[in-house]
Amino acid sequence: MTQTRSRRAGPDPSGLYLPRTARVVRAENLTRQDRLIEIALPEGQALGHRPGQFVQVSLLGYGEAPISVSSGPQQTGSFELCVRRLGNVTTALHALQPGDPVGIRGPFGNGFPMDHLVGRDCLVVAGGIGLAPLRSVIHSILARRERYGRLIVLHGARREEDILFRDEIAEWQQDPRNEVLLTVDEPTPGWKGRVGVITTLFPEIEVDPANLVVVAMVGPPVMYRFVILELRGLGIKNDQMFMSLERRMKCGVGKCGHCQIDGRCVCVDGPVFSGTEIMAMHEAI
Amino acid sequence: MAPSALSAADVRSVLARAMESTAVLAPVRRGRSSFAFQWIADPAEAVFSYPRTILPPKQALLPPREDLFVFQRAPEPAVRPPAAPDPITLFGVHPCDLAAIGQLDWAMQERHGICDPNYAARRAHTTIIGLECLPDEYCFCPSVGTAHTRAGADLFLTPVGEEFVAEALTEKGEALLASAGEKRAPSAEARDTWEHWAEDKESRVSRRLKAQPKELPDLLEAEYESEVWEATAARCYSCGTCTSVCPTCFCFDVEDVVEVGLASGARRRQYDSCQFLEFASVAGGHNFRGERPDRVRHRWFRKFVHLNREYGDAFCVGCGRCTKFCTADIGLVEVLNSIVEASE
Repeated sequence: MTQTRSRRAGPDPSGLYLPRTARVVRAENLTRQDRLIEIALPEGQALGHRPGQFVQVSLLGYGEAPISVSSGPQQTGSFELCVRRLGNVTTALHALQPGDPVGIRGPFGNGFPMDHLVGRDCLVVAGGIGLAPLRSVIHSILARRERYGRLIVLHGARREEDILFRDEIAEWQQDPRNEVLLTVDEPTPGWKGRVGVITTLFPEIEVDPANLVVVAMVGPPVMYRFVILELRGLGIKNDQMFMSLERRMKCGVGKCGHCQIDGRCVCVDGPVFSGTEIMAMHEAI
Repeated sequence: MAPSALSAADVRSVLARAMESTAVLAPVRRGRSSFAFQWIADPAEAVFSYPRTILPPKQALLPPREDLFVFQRAPEPAVRPPAAPDPITLFGVHPCDLAAIGQLDWAMQERHGICDPNYAARRAHTTIIGLECLPDEYCFCPSVGTAHTRAGADLFLTPVGEEFVAEALTEKGEALLASAGEKRAPSAEARDTWEHWAEDKESRVSRRLKAQPKELPDLLEAEYESEVWEATAARCYSCGTCTSVCPTCFCFDVEDVVEVGLASGARRRQYDSCQFLEFASVAGGHNFRGERPDRVRHRWFRKFVHLNREYGDAFCVGCGRCTKFCTADIGLVEVLNSIVEASE
C-alpha cells in the first residue's frame, strides 16, 4: 500500500504526544461490554481519517488506548469509537457522558485501501469487536453506494446479545446489493440464526473471486489463519485480502517498539496489511 | 583543523568552561572497577580513562523516566509540554557511544519521518566531548564499524601519555578548545602515537563477529528456527539487563502518574524491555511473544535484521555492555557467531 502516513514530522513536532481536548457528544451502550462514543474535536476540527485508521484516546490520569475509528470519513463534525471494556482506560471511557472531555491524538496508521474497492465487490469479515473498524469501511461504501459492487458482511459474535450495531445491520439489509450473515458461538433461546465460529459462514456465500476485495478483522491470531484458509478456498488471492491487526500501540508514531511485527510498526506501517504482507511475516498471526 | 595538544589541567579548564553555561555529564569512578556517567559539580570528578560505564550516556538524551507532558485534571483538563530542557555537555563519550547517539538520533528524530519532540529538544542543546579509548575483552567495536567514530562529537580527545591530542570538529568544539588558552601543536612523539591509535586499538580487540553486519539479515533469517534461540533462552532470565544497559535500545512504556490530590499529574514514559513477558501482549490477553525463545530471538532480530535493514547498519555499536552485565553470561557476539557457524 502506498498511502501517506499521518503526523509526519513537520517544522514543529512539539504536539506529537499532546492530546487535543475533544468532547463527548453522545454515548450509548451497544452490548454489555461495548459502548459507542461519539466525539467532537475542539473548534469544529475534522478528524480527517480514513477507514481503518485509529486514534489514541486518553483520559488524563488513566492513560491512553489505541481505538479504531468506527464511523465513516463522510461523517464530519464528529466521529465515533466503539469501545470494548477490557482494561483501566477502556473502563474509564465507559463512564464518559455527553459533554465530558476526552483526549484525542491522531488519526494514525494507514487504513484500508478504499480506492482499491471502487468498482469491486467487498467482503467484510468481522469477528466480534472487529466490526468496529470495518463499520467505517461499510459506512464509506454506503455513502457512495453506486461506486461499489456487492457488499457482503460476515459477522460473528459470542452470543446474540453481543452482536454489534443490530439496528444498522437491519438497515444495511434493506438494500438488495448488501448481504449480512450473522453467527453466534453460544446460541441463546430464540436465536434462529447460524451457530458456530465465523468460518461456518463461508460455505453460504457465493463470490466472484476475480472481482472481490476482502477487508477483515477477526480477533485472535488463530482466527486469522482459519479465515485466510477459507478465503483461499473461495479462490481469493492474498493480494485481495486486507486485514487489520491488533497490537498494543503505546506511542502511535513508531517509537515505543510495542507494536513491532518482524520489521514493521503496526502503528505507522499498519494496522492494515495485505494477505501477501501478512504471509511474508513470521509474527503477524 | 590541525590537532592541538592539551594537558590534563587544560582539559579540566575546558570542563570548567562548559560548566559555566551547561550541566556536564561525565564518567565518574563509583567503585574499584565501576564507572558511571554522572552530573558533576567539579571538573575534578571526571575521569579521563575508563573501560565502560554500566549505563550509557543515552540517559541524558532519552532519560530512563521522563514526562512527555504535564497535565491538570480540574477544574478543566489542560496539557502542557515539559519545560525546555537546559543545555548539557556530555564529556568522555567513547567512539562506540558516539555511534550509538548517531543511531538514537535516527531512531528518535528521523525514523518514519517522525520526530520525537522531547528527544529533539534535549539533543538540540547538547554539546559532546568525545574521548578515545582502548578496548577490553568485551569490546567488539571493529566488527560493527564503530571503533573510530568521531561523528557527533564537537571536540574529541585522545589521551597520549600525560597529554591529550584534541580535535575540534565543530564551531562549538572550537570555542571549547579556545577556552584552554593558547593553542599548541602536539609533540612529534604524541602525534605519532595519535596517528597509530586506530591500528593499535584494532589489534587489541579479541572479540570478533564472524560476518559483516550487512550479511546478518539474510544469515539470521535463514536461521529463524535455529535451536540457538531455544538454547539461549534456556539460560536467559528475561531480566531486561541487556536492554537497560544498551546504548541503542529505545523502546518505552507510557503511563499516567497523578499527584495525591488527583488534580494534576504527568504522562510519563520509561524504558521498557522487549525481554519482559508483557511487552507484546494485547488487550484480551493474547501475547505475541509469550515464549522466552521468541523474545530472545526478537532482540537479535531487531538489532541485526530489521533495524539493520531499515537503518542500513547493525543497530549495535559493539560496546559490550549487554554481554558484560548479562546476569546469565550470555554473549551477544557468541550467539551471533553460533548462527553464522550453523549457516556455514
